[in-house]
Amino acid sequence: MDKKRFAKISSFRYAIMAVVLILLAGGLVILPKYEKNEGISADQLLSNIISLERYVSADDISNKLITQDPSFILIDVRDKESYGKYTLPNAINIPLKNLLDKEFEAYLNQDQYDVVFFSNDNFYADQAWAICNRLSYANLHVLKGGLNGWFTTIINPEKPSENMPASAFELYNTRKAASMFFGVVYPDQAKINTVVKRAPKKIITVKKKKRVAEGGC
Amino acid sequence: MKELEKTKRISIATTLFILAVLIGLFTFKRPKNTFVHTTKNTLEKISNQNYLTSISEINNPKYVFVDIRSAYEFEKGSLKNAINIHTPDFLADGNLKVFKELKNVEKTIVLYGKNPEEVNLPFLLLYQLGFDNVKLLTIELDYVQNSLFTKNSTVEISKNNIAAFINASQKNAGLQTKITKAKPTRKKIVVRQKKKKAAEGGC
Repeated sequence: MDKKRFAKISSFRYAIMAVVLILLAGGLVILPKYEKNEGISADQLLSNIISLERYVSADDISNKLITQDPSFILIDVRDKESYGKYTLPNAINIPLKNLLDKEFEAYLNQDQYDVVFFSNDNFYADQAWAICNRLSYANLHVLKGGLNGWFTTIINPEKPSENMPASAFELYNTRKAASMFFGVVYPDQAKINTVVKRAPKKIITVKKKKRVAEGGC
Repeated sequence: MKELEKTKRISIATTLFILAVLIGLFTFKRPKNTFVHTTKNTLEKISNQNYLTSISEINNPKYVFVDIRSAYEFEKGSLKNAINIHTPDFLADGNLKVFKELKNVEKTIVLYGKNPEEVNLPFLLLYQLGFDNVKLLTIELDYVQNSLFTKNSTVEISKNNIAAFINASQKNAGLQTKITKAKPTRKKIVVRQKKKKAAEGGC
């Protein structure tokens, strides 16, 4: 009796196993939906967004550029046209809409260099940062204030007024020197170069008129 | 009898296998908040669609304003009829429910904060979570004598032409570096004419 029942079950044991496996395979259908959730979790992204660690100041970048720090790459996320007009030295142009193109992936998805995004202000740069951050690319930064900030702090720094502390003047001098490095020429700097040639003295020899012998006997 | 033992082993293995799979399935936790849009979709959205809205459309009945600043800032002053959801609390259960309800009644969530840049990434986060009805209000908030003032703000406008500035500075300086030759001024040398002396002497 026992043997008979067992035989009955075992006769379609393969069928049972097949059904189980098919059911499990069916579970795979659910997976592609989950696949959309690429990159880090939403909670992680939120905490990264709140943290302001991503920002680097224009002073830092100018310092790095002047000392020729090889550890970072600048990425201009504006369009090609604006990139052509002006950009930071050695910056690479990756327009925001082409950010995820295959050809640029090597620049972004690496952990050798610090990547610094910049645009006119930090709006587009932040967006580029957020997308790359979600893909958990490493060492991403954003230039605080973007090129507008770059202009007001480095290229054309505001002169401190007289009642400001000495540190403000020091900072101004550093920024001014930096701006000279980036090509700005100041009138007072130019003055040093001016060579005023002195007019050669004209020597005018006054010929003495020989007196005509006068009189006498 | 030998045959029987073999089947026993197979069935034990099968049950163990199924058990392992079941345990895996039950302990598998989906993250609470999953992204709906991939990064590619998001990038397309932010480069093609208009998600910015200005203060002139403030009276649009479809708009629901969400203040993303802290509760303290919100108490100090906010837009009329705005609700306050501080950025770090975006993913809290209650707040997500609010967003979902707003989506269900087909309202547009308009986020605003101290400036557009502050709202930028919270907006992006909400969009990626599947809230397609989010917009960003481009205003700047400021306090003048304890009352809140809004100012229309722009995004990604190049304020200065840096290249032109540098060129101009070089040009200006260039004029001055020109070596200016001082013109030798003609010296006027007045040669006094000696008075003709009257013939002297003589005997």
